[in-house]
Amino acid sequence: MNAEGSSNERVLWGFGSVAVVVYALIPVVWILSLSLKPSADLNDNRFFPRAVSFDHYRTIFQDIQFPAALWNSVGIATLSSLLAVTLGMFAAYAIVRLRFPGRRLVLGAALSIAIFPPIAIIGPLFDLWRAVGLFDTWAGLVLPYMTFTLPLAIWSLSAFFREIPWDLEKAARMDGATPFQAFSRVIAPLAAPGVFTTSILVFIFAWNDFLFAASLTSTNNARTVPAAIAFFTGSSRFELPTGSIAAASVVVTVPIIMLVLVFQRRIVAGLTAGAVKG
Amino acid sequence: MCASVGCVPREPPAAPTLRWYVFDEPSGAFAEVAQRCAQASGGAYRLEIAPLPTDADQQREQLVRRLAARDRDIDIIGMDVIWTAEFAEAGWVLPWEGAVAEQATEGRISATVQSAVYEGRLWAAPFTTNTQLLWYRTDRVETPPKTWTEMISMAEALGERGMIQAQGERYEGLTVFFTSLLASAGGAVLAPTGGLSLQEAPTREALEIMKRLAASPAAGPALSTAREDQARLGFETGKPSFMINYTFVWPSARKNAPEVAANMGWTRWPAVAEDRPRRVTIGGINLGIGAYTRYPAFAFQAAACVASADSQRLAARRGGLPPTTEALYDDPEVRRTFPFADLLRATLKDAVQRAQTPVYNDISLAISRTLHPMKDIEPGSDVDTLREAVGRALRSEGLL
Amino acid sequence: MKSWMRSESRLGWLLCAPAILTMAVVTAYPIAYAFWLSLFRYDLRFPRERTFVGLANYASVLTSEVWWRSMVNTLIITIGSVTVELVLGFALALVMHRAVFGRRTVRAAVLVPYGIITVVAALAWKFAFDPTTGFVNALLGLDQAWLTERWSAFLVIIFTEIWKTTPFMALLLLAGLTLVPDDLLRAARVDGASATQRFFKITLPLMKPAILVALLFRTLDAFRIFDTVFVQTRGAQDTETVSVVGYNTLVVRLNLGLGSAVSVLIFVSVVIIAVLFVKAFGTSVDREQGESP
Repeated sequence: MNAEGSSNERVLWGFGSVAVVVYALIPVVWILSLSLKPSADLNDNRFFPRAVSFDHYRTIFQDIQFPAALWNSVGIATLSSLLAVTLGMFAAYAIVRLRFPGRRLVLGAALSIAIFPPIAIIGPLFDLWRAVGLFDTWAGLVLPYMTFTLPLAIWSLSAFFREIPWDLEKAARMDGATPFQAFSRVIAPLAAPGVFTTSILVFIFAWNDFLFAASLTSTNNARTVPAAIAFFTGSSRFELPTGSIAAASVVVTVPIIMLVLVFQRRIVAGLTAGAVKG
Repeated sequence: MCASVGCVPREPPAAPTLRWYVFDEPSGAFAEVAQRCAQASGGAYRLEIAPLPTDADQQREQLVRRLAARDRDIDIIGMDVIWTAEFAEAGWVLPWEGAVAEQATEGRISATVQSAVYEGRLWAAPFTTNTQLLWYRTDRVETPPKTWTEMISMAEALGERGMIQAQGERYEGLTVFFTSLLASAGGAVLAPTGGLSLQEAPTREALEIMKRLAASPAAGPALSTAREDQARLGFETGKPSFMINYTFVWPSARKNAPEVAANMGWTRWPAVAEDRPRRVTIGGINLGIGAYTRYPAFAFQAAACVASADSQRLAARRGGLPPTTEALYDDPEVRRTFPFADLLRATLKDAVQRAQTPVYNDISLAISRTLHPMKDIEPGSDVDTLREAVGRALRSEGLL
Repeated sequence: MKSWMRSESRLGWLLCAPAILTMAVVTAYPIAYAFWLSLFRYDLRFPRERTFVGLANYASVLTSEVWWRSMVNTLIITIGSVTVELVLGFALALVMHRAVFGRRTVRAAVLVPYGIITVVAALAWKFAFDPTTGFVNALLGLDQAWLTERWSAFLVIIFTEIWKTTPFMALLLLAGLTLVPDDLLRAARVDGASATQRFFKITLPLMKPAILVALLFRTLDAFRIFDTVFVQTRGAQDTETVSVVGYNTLVVRLNLGLGSAVSVLIFVSVVIIAVLFVKAFGTSVDREQGESP
C-alpha cells in the first residue's frame, strides 16, 4: 500500500520480510529438530536431524512429571485468564462508560503494577502462602497471575470498549428490547472479539511465567511447564536430558504458535492498544 | 497391628505408602533396597522412591522449600551429610532416639555417625559414605607421594604426563578440597563451640598449597572448571598421572578405560607435611525422617531397614556406594567391589566433617567464591578475606 | 441530577473494586510486608531467632560487593539489550510497515518470539550455543565454550533477550509508525527530501511518544530479567542479576529478612528508573500514559 518507491526499495523490503521470518523461526526450527534427533545424534552439531525419531516425545509422555505439568499449565493459565478478563471487563466498562473519580486511580494502579518487579513479592508471598496453605496449589499461582495481567486486561479491554458504538444499546432499548436483550444481542457480540483477544494475551502471560512457578510450587500438584522443564530430572547424574527438554519445549510451543498465527491481527491490536493509541 | 514397633495411636489401619526422597541412583540399588524393606515389613507399609534432581544443590533447594512449607508427603529423606545441622535446627527432621537410634549407629564407623549428629543428638541414620583417595599411575610412579609438595614436584618432573586432576570449579567440591587441606594442616573452619576458627597458620598453609597446585604446570588450564567427573574423564584419557577423587572412579575406569585401570594405584590423600596426619572430608547419604510425616513410626522402621547392614551391602555391590558399617569392609563381597577396602576404612576412620552448622550452605558458598579461581589466591591477604566472608555467612547477614 | 451522578460514581467504584482489591492484596500488601520483614533477622532455617534489626539488612546489602556487581550486570544486560532492540525493532517495524508481500506472514512470524515461553527460548539458544550440542560454533567456525566465560555468557544472554523481545518493541513502534501521515512523507519526497532525511526529520520526531513508551516498558522489563539468566548460567561466571540474587537469598537460602531487603531495593530501583524516564522526557510520556486508554 505504502510501498510506492522504486523497484530497488521493493526488493529491499521483500528481502527484509524474508529475513524477519527466518529470524523469528530459527530457534523454533532448531528446538524441533533437536527433539526429533535420536539420542545418539544429539551432539552431531547439525541444524537439521539426519534421522527422525519420536523417542523423546514418548519419554516425556510416559514420565508422570510432564503430563502433570502440562495439565497444571493449561488449568492455571485458563483460570487466570477467565478471572483477569472478568475483573478487567468490569473495570474497563467503568472507565469507558462512567464518569467517576476512581478512573485515574484504576489507571494509576494498573500502570504501577505493569512496572512492578515480581521478585519483590516472592518472599512475602512464599511466607503468606505457606501460612495459609496456598503453597504448591493452583490458587497460589492463579492469584499472582491474574494480578499481574490485570493492567494488560484493563488497558486492552478499555481500548476495545472505546470502539464499541454504545448508542446502539440505547437504540435497541428504544426499539423495545429489554436491557438484558440489548446487552446480549447488541453489545456482547461487539465486545466479544476484544474480550477474546485479551484472554489470549493473559493466557500467554500465565503460560510463560517462570519466577512464580519456580518459587511457589514444588511438586506435580501445581508445577507448571516452564518450571518443570527448567528443573527436569535427568536419568543420570552427569547427563542433561537435552532430548526430553527439546520435546517438551516443542509440545508447549506449538499451541502458542497456532494461537499467534490464527489471531495475529487481534493480538497485535491488543498488545499495542493500551500503550500507544489513545 | 503394627507389631513390635512403637505404634502411634492415630495411624490409619490401611498400609500406608511411604515416600523416600533421594537422588536418582542409576544402578537401581536404592529401588531394590526399598522393595526388600517393604517386603520385610510384611505388608505394614509400602516404600516408594521419589527421585530428586541429580545435582545436590538442587536436591536441597527443592526439599528445603517444601519442608519450610510443612510438606506432609516427605517421609524419609536421603540427606547429604552437610544438611544435618540445617535440617535439625529448622525442625525439618525428627531426632532418632532410644532403640532405633542404637540400631542405626551400632557398629557404624564413628565419623559417619558424627556426620548425622548435631548438638549432641542423632538426626539421621548413617547409610552410605564416601571419601577421597589419591589415585595414581603405577606404571609411571614407583612410590606414591606422601605430601602435596612431593606430588607436585613428581608431577612436574614427569612433564607432559604429569598432570594432577583435582576439583577447582566454583562449587562444593572446592570447599571440600579446602576443608581437607585445612584439616590436614591442623585447622578447622569452625571452632568446637560453633564460632569462627580459620586460624592464621593452618589456613595460610592450605591456601599456599592450593596456590602452588594451581600455578604449577601440573594442574593444567582446566582446573578452574573441573568437577569430580571432569577429573575422572581426564584421568581416563590416560594422560594424567595423579587424581584426587572419590571411589566411583574405579568401577568407571574398569569399564571405560581398562588399560588405565590396569595401571591404576591408590593411596591415602597426600599430607600437608610428612609428619602431619592426613585428614580427609567425609561425604555420603544419611536417612532423615521428615518432621511433618503422617507415619513417623513406620518411617523410622523403614529408614532403619534401609540403613541396615544388609541394605548397605546391596548398595555397595550394585551401586558402588561405600558402607558405613565397619564390619562390612571385611565382607568378601564388599572387598571384591572395593579392592582398596582397607585403605578406604582407614581414611574414613579419621575423616573430618565439613563445618556442622545450619548455615553450612552459605559458608560453603563463601569459601568457594573467595577461593575461585585457585590461581588467583593470595595466601597473605586471602586468610583475612576468607575469615571475613565466612564470618558474615555465619551471622547469616551477607549476600552470597 | 446530583443523585444520578452519585449513583454513577458508586457503580464505577463497585465495578472497579474487585480489580483494585486484587491488585492491592497481591502486590501492595506483600510489598509492605516485604518492607516489614526486611527490618528483621528472619531466616526460616532459624525459625526461633526472629529479631528486629532495624535497617541492618539494608546496610548489609548496600555494602555487599555481590549486590553492586549484580546491579552492574543487570544494567549491562538492560542497556545492551534495549539499545540493540530499539535499532532492530525499528528495522522490523519498517519492514512490517512497508512489506510489499506476505505482510500477514511477517506479522505472524514476529509474534512467535513474543509468544514463546522465555524458558524455552533460553534453552533453545543455550543448546544452540553449546559446543557439544549446538550449531552456532559449526556455523561460525569457532571453538568457543560460550557460557563458561563472563563476556561470552553475557553475549548469549543479551542475544536471547533481544531475540525474544524485539518483536514487542517493533509492534509498539509500528503502532507509532502508522500514526505518521503518508501525505507528509509524500510531500517531503516531492520536495526532494532523501529517505534518510525523511526518516530523521519527519518520521522520528512524530514517533517520539511511541519510542519513549516502548523504551520505558522494555527498560523496566529488562531490569527484572530472571528466566534467561537462571536457565542459561544460573548466575555463574559472574552474570548474576539483581533478580537472581533476590531469588537465591529468598528461595534458596530462605533468608526472608535479608532477601526482603533485596526485594525492596529492587522495587526502589524500578521506581527510580521509571521516575528518571518520566522526568528526563518531560511531559510527553506523562501525557501519553495519563490519557492512554
